[in-house]
This record gives sequence, C-alpha cells and structure tokens, in this order.
Amino acid sequence: MSSSQMPGNPSFEAPKKVSGFRTVLKYTGIPPSWLDKRPKLPSRNWLIFWSLTGSVVGYYVYDRRQCKQIKQHYIDKVKHLSEASVDPFDTPRRVTVYGAKWPGDEDYDQSLRYFRKYVKPILVAAAIDYELVAGKRHGDIAKHVAEDVRKRRRLSEGLDQDSDVTKALPTYKPPAERRKQELAGGIVIVGRPTFKEFMSGLAKGWTQGLEKVDEDERLAHILEDDGKFDEPEEELPIGVYEDGTLKESATPSPKASPVFSPLQLHQKPPLSSPSSNMSLSTPTTPPTFIPELPPLLLVPFTNYIGIKQIPLMIWGFFNQRQKVQSGAEAGYRLVMHSTRPFDVPRHVSDSIGDDGSHSVQGGDLDFNKEAEGYYKKSLDDLEEDIDISRKKYYEKLPEKLATARALSRGTREPTKEEYENPPPTEVELRAERLKKERRWRDDVAGWNIIKAGSPVVWDSRFQDALKVFSEPPKHDEEQRS
Amino acid sequence: MSFLRGGAAPQGGVNMEKIEMAITELDTVTDFFNRMVQSCHNKCISTRYADADLNKGESVCIDRCVSKFNEVQKKVGEKLQSRGAANAGPSTGGFL
Repeated sequence: MSSSQMPGNPSFEAPKKVSGFRTVLKYTGIPPSWLDKRPKLPSRNWLIFWSLTGSVVGYYVYDRRQCKQIKQHYIDKVKHLSEASVDPFDTPRRVTVYGAKWPGDEDYDQSLRYFRKYVKPILVAAAIDYELVAGKRHGDIAKHVAEDVRKRRRLSEGLDQDSDVTKALPTYKPPAERRKQELAGGIVIVGRPTFKEFMSGLAKGWTQGLEKVDEDERLAHILEDDGKFDEPEEELPIGVYEDGTLKESATPSPKASPVFSPLQLHQKPPLSSPSSNMSLSTPTTPPTFIPELPPLLLVPFTNYIGIKQIPLMIWGFFNQRQKVQSGAEAGYRLVMHSTRPFDVPRHVSDSIGDDGSHSVQGGDLDFNKEAEGYYKKSLDDLEEDIDISRKKYYEKLPEKLATARALSRGTREPTKEEYENPPPTEVELRAERLKKERRWRDDVAGWNIIKAGSPVVWDSRFQDALKVFSEPPKHDEEQRS
Repeated sequence: MSFLRGGAAPQGGVNMEKIEMAITELDTVTDFFNRMVQSCHNKCISTRYADADLNKGESVCIDRCVSKFNEVQKKVGEKLQSRGAANAGPSTGGFL
C-alpha cells in the first residue's frame, strides 16, 4: 500500500505487473478498486468492540442452545410415558408443588416461577399433572400443609365425611383410593424456605388437635382484654397512657397476654403454641404413628436479590444451563419414581421446642442450606421493624378512638372535614386493629420458621413416613432407551 | 320442547323476553364451548393423528386446558359483571 502512494516512477510501474485473478477479471467490468482491495484489520477500537460484543452474544447463544439441548434430552427420556393410551376416566399421576415466598422478595411466586421454567417441561412431557400452591406471605405454606393434614386426619378418624354431593359425582373416589393415588404422586418442594415451612406445617398438622380453629376468633379472644380499647376516663388514665406510649409496647399488655405474645414467640419456635390450644378440646391425641406420606422432591433454588448479588445474577443469566440441568434432573427423578428413605442423622431428636445449637443438622435436613447465606441481612431486624410499626400504631390509636367515641356519642359536632370523609368508627377501628395484629403475628411466626438460625422441624415419627425421590438406577434408564 | 307447547297454549302470550334471554344464554354457552374446544384442540392435540384414542399426555393437557379456560371465563365474567354493576347504565347483556 505504502509503495503505491509514493510519487514518481515506482508508482507508475507497479500496476503493470498484474497477475492472477486480476488479469482474468480485468475486463469483466468489476471496478478495479475492488480487485485491489486488500483485507486489513479494523482499528483497535473496533477490535475491542467486536470481540467484546461477540463473546457476550456468543456466550449467551451457546448457553441457550445448551439449555434447549439438555431440556430436549430429558424430554426424550420421559416421552414414552405420555404416549401410552389411557382410559378417559383414569386420573393421571398428580403432584403437589409448594413454593413459599422468598424472604425479602416482593414477588411471592419466584420459586414457582423457577418450577415452571425448569421442572415443569419434564413433567408435562411425562404427562404428570401438577397443582401449584403458592405462599403469599411467610408461613402460608406451613398453614396450608397443617390444614391439609388436619382435614385428612379428621377424615380418617371418621369425624368428617365426604359430602353427598361429592359422592354423587362420577369421578368420586373413596378416601382410601385417593390416598393411594396421592402416594403415587409426590410433593415438590422448591427451595429452602419452602422446605422449612413444609416440615413445620407437617409437624404442626400431625401434632395439633383436630377441631377447627378460627384463627381470627382466637386472636380476638386473646386481644379482647388487653386494655387498648378501654375507656381512659374512669379507670387509670395514666396506666393506659403508660401502656400505650412508654416502654412496654412490645407486649400488647403486661397482664392479659401470657397466652400468645410476640415476646414469647421470640423465645421459642411458634410450634409450641399449638400445645396450648390442643388441651382445649381435642378428643383425639396425636397419633404415635404417621402413615406413609407421598415422597418429596427437593428442588434446590436460590433467589438472588439486592444490589450486592447483581454479579451473581449476571453470572446466572449466562449460565442458565446449570439451572436447566438441575431442574430437569429433579423432574426426571420425580418421573422415574425411585425413592429412598429420608436421610436423617441419628442424633437429631425432635427439634420442636429446643433451640440449642442447630447450625448443622445433617442429612436431608440440610437440604439447600447454603441458600440461607443469600438472605438479606436487613431481614434480621424484621421483628424489631414490626414492633416499631406496632408501637406507632398503638400510639396513634387512643386519639382515633377518642374522636370516634366523641362523634358517636354526640359530645361534639363533627368538623367540616369530618363530614366530608368521616373518621373510622370504633367498630372499624377494632376490625382494623385485629387485622393488623393478625398480620404482624403471622409475619413474625412465619419468619421464625424460615429464618437462617432456626432449625428444620423434625419429628421422629416422620422417619418411616417420609421418603425422598432419588436418582434412578442407571441400568433402568438404559433399558428404556 | 313439550314444555313450550304446554306453556304456550293456555297463557297465550309467551314471555318473549325470557325466551330472548334463554336464546342469548344458549348462544353464549355454545360459543364458549366452541372456543374452548378449538383452543384446547389447537394446544394439546397434534395434527398427526397417529392414534384413534387420546394418549396420556394429551388427556392431561386437555384437563388442564379446560379447567384453565373455565377459570378464566369465570374471572372475566365476574369482572364484567362488577363493572356492569358499577356503570349501571349499559347492561352487560349476554354474559353469564
């Protein structure tokens, strides 16, 4: 190039020595500048740009292609199951999927999304029906599981019967058959918080009494004489004042709430509370033996949230194949239905009630434990935050109450503003307070189940009842393929 | 259809409004059913038709599809009804 730029003779002679394809193509009409074109590297900046963009895009494309391949591989492995023909009245295998709220995440269904994205395709390919149970707040899954167990126990004790309407349906199956079907199905548990909530709910359900407990009513009963709604005029205006504003607002009232106060909740796991209401009524004691439960599928799942974990999110974005692999493997384990007993080290005793050293429990109880390290640190103050909001609320309450009472008794005329948007009446205030208390207490109880320090609830009766899906033996798989 | 004859003869004037309503309702139900069949068929059943019977995967898919369709229909119906009640003026005729 540089020689052709030189002035004088050399530049004149150089073009004479044309050879090769140039001589051939000279008269074809292709512009001669095209023939003289010589490839050269783009500038440094372009090189940097292209190599960066190329590697990022390339990595992304590679990852997604791998994802597809892995998924397809597992789908092909299980496809034969869905191609069998069935009787239209047969019910397919059905599994229940639990996904609890991840602590600190506003979206409560992250774990179910994970399930839908990575595990579901395998189940769909294998024609397994699934039912999703989402926990909108902490503790919801525990409650749901406990309630299910309770219903089931009532049914088997003969306290409840299937309604006649259900029995008349053509698809009706007697409980024994339903149990069998359930056992053939399974339970999918996504992530560590779900696992903890599930185990806690299970223990609660198998320990608690059988009668229906209306939580709202129970709470109302507890709260009814804590003095928050007392008339300040006649009796000890100072006392109420003290109670509302000064030091002890963590316990709603010092005298009336030995039954169920947040302070006590703090000290022991919430599981011990059932014992108090069990004594109230139950005709049946908790069974010493738990019948076999559907096997569990433990799906590891970590949800990254917060600014600090953004690098991990980016890394995860380019490595989705690992999640696809782990999800598909889990799905495959479920489909193949090979189980092993729940692995629990011998020294783990019933962990209901004691909260000694529980950093490592061992066995399956430590399932996905490392995920707990990713919980947000700010959540450790959850209880204090709730206490603060409770305190604030109770500080404002007497004022609102005074207005409501004054207006309802007609001791003063409502102001113009109050005409336009009337302040809440006393009944409304009570209802609101009950709702708030309920939410605070439930949140604290739920958080105490799943927080990093609290152990997974274990009951020695579970030993024979629980099973876990395990890797199917290799030769099995080869035979099929 | 015997009830029509029996009912119509003695009274003379059949309540046309009611029949109108029944017809619209039947129309909506038929329409709903047809749509459901069409979309679930498209979703679940491959056009290869290798087998005369449904296989397991297809029947599970249809189960889910139908229940989902019903669920959505119910939700949309409720929404429309509440909106209709709020507006009060234009009635949402024809929805369940």
